[in-house]
Amino acid sequence: MNLTERVNQFFTVIGGLTAFSIRFFAEVFRPPYEISEIRKHMDELGVKTFSIVSVTGFILGLVLGMQTQPVLARFGAEMFLPGTIALSVIRELGPVLTALIFAGRVGSGIGAELGSMRVTEQIDAMEVSAVDPFRYLVVTRVIATTLMLPLLTIYVDFIALIGGYIAVIITQNLTFAYYIQLVLEAVRFSDVIPGVTKTFVFGFIVGIVGSYLGFNATKGTEGVGKASTTAVVISSLLIILFDMILVRLTLIIFPD
Amino acid sequence: MIKVENLCKRFGNLVVLNGVSFEVPEGQTLVILGRSGTGKSVLLKCIVRLLEPDAGKIFIDGKNILELSNKELNELRKEIGFLFQSSALYDSMSVRENLAFPLIRHTNFNDKEIETKVKEMLRLVGLEDAIDKMPSELSGGMRKRIGLARALILHPKIMLYDEPTTGLDPVTSKEISKLILDMQKEFKMTNIVVTHDMVVALSTADKILLLESGNFIFAGTPDELTISDIDIAQKFLSSKLD
Repeated sequence: MNLTERVNQFFTVIGGLTAFSIRFFAEVFRPPYEISEIRKHMDELGVKTFSIVSVTGFILGLVLGMQTQPVLARFGAEMFLPGTIALSVIRELGPVLTALIFAGRVGSGIGAELGSMRVTEQIDAMEVSAVDPFRYLVVTRVIATTLMLPLLTIYVDFIALIGGYIAVIITQNLTFAYYIQLVLEAVRFSDVIPGVTKTFVFGFIVGIVGSYLGFNATKGTEGVGKASTTAVVISSLLIILFDMILVRLTLIIFPD
Repeated sequence: MIKVENLCKRFGNLVVLNGVSFEVPEGQTLVILGRSGTGKSVLLKCIVRLLEPDAGKIFIDGKNILELSNKELNELRKEIGFLFQSSALYDSMSVRENLAFPLIRHTNFNDKEIETKVKEMLRLVGLEDAIDKMPSELSGGMRKRIGLARALILHPKIMLYDEPTTGLDPVTSKEISKLILDMQKEFKMTNIVVTHDMVVALSTADKILLLESGNFIFAGTPDELTISDIDIAQKFLSSKLD
């Protein structure tokens, strides 16, 4: 594939994704709301990602603490270690890292699942039986990812703080209660809310990209594999891109 | 019941259907016969608007389905059963859930009534024991039967079969042909069967159309087909003897 074809394909995907997102917002507020399907998907997403985000979150906090401690020690500011860990995790690392893991685990799964349904005519079967597959398969999954990622991020933030505490007690004699007190003193409302809010956007990106690529998969099993891997690549890129935009927006809304 | 007029469909430069027209009276079975890749499945998918034709009209019960709104189309689709070439069973659902799915979506039956209906349909296709199995645990023939049971569970007035015996051995193919006839006796539907299997065509059809190069080159009864001197018809008949 030459450069022109690649650029053409990139803009085709972006255009298709935009149209797909517009369709999502047009459908999402119309009944029936498929609550049981949304709950089922949220359960599945939670089970799928719980263990991997737990381990990653803990190690994130631990490594962050171990890396930051000597730097702060150089300036005699070791007492700021809990606050530094908390702010790094809550403002940036927790949301972005969780979203990237979520894209790898869940985005690829949605792409493969819907892609497989497309190439084996299951989506056609649903349409012929007078059930709107977009509402039943796409809207429910995108709502589930949009709601689930913020919950997972809050959990990862918490686990990372525990990891951070382990890093702190390697060099300092600090009780957990005092550690938490230092964390709470450092973290403000304006740190927590933007950090969690942007994960709604990241969750939406993972759901809509995976669904779009799976829903429009072609060419049999090759198409399913492509939908799955492309979902991870595109959603990871979009997460980083939107993170940059949202961080800028946050700094405008909360300038201090 | 079903009337198609001058239907055209192309994919890029490839003309698949070039102005085909036909009619299926109520309660009759029309078989559309043709080699692989001649557009039989495309025609069937146009009839339920899974594909949009480029030109032509499709009337079902006097309504041109190409002019229906989404809501009207979905109402009409509830009266149409469709057996897909790949059976298209929902992988993530058990046989019970596959059959219950249309009932949950389109009827007000309670759980007990749904269970009764599901078991009744499974009994009709001879697979009562498969109720708790997942699609991946079923053989090709069983998948076709379950697909047929799901398509028929809302008691449609029209049944469309897309290559019902593709990939099956000759014995299972005959069983599926018999099942199509049995279901026709049971539910008195209007059927369109798309196939390249002469056994299915001759045993189920009231009328056969032979599709070649985007248009019909033969229209007649099974008996008329067997005495036809059209080259492709002869080849199909000899394939049956083989």
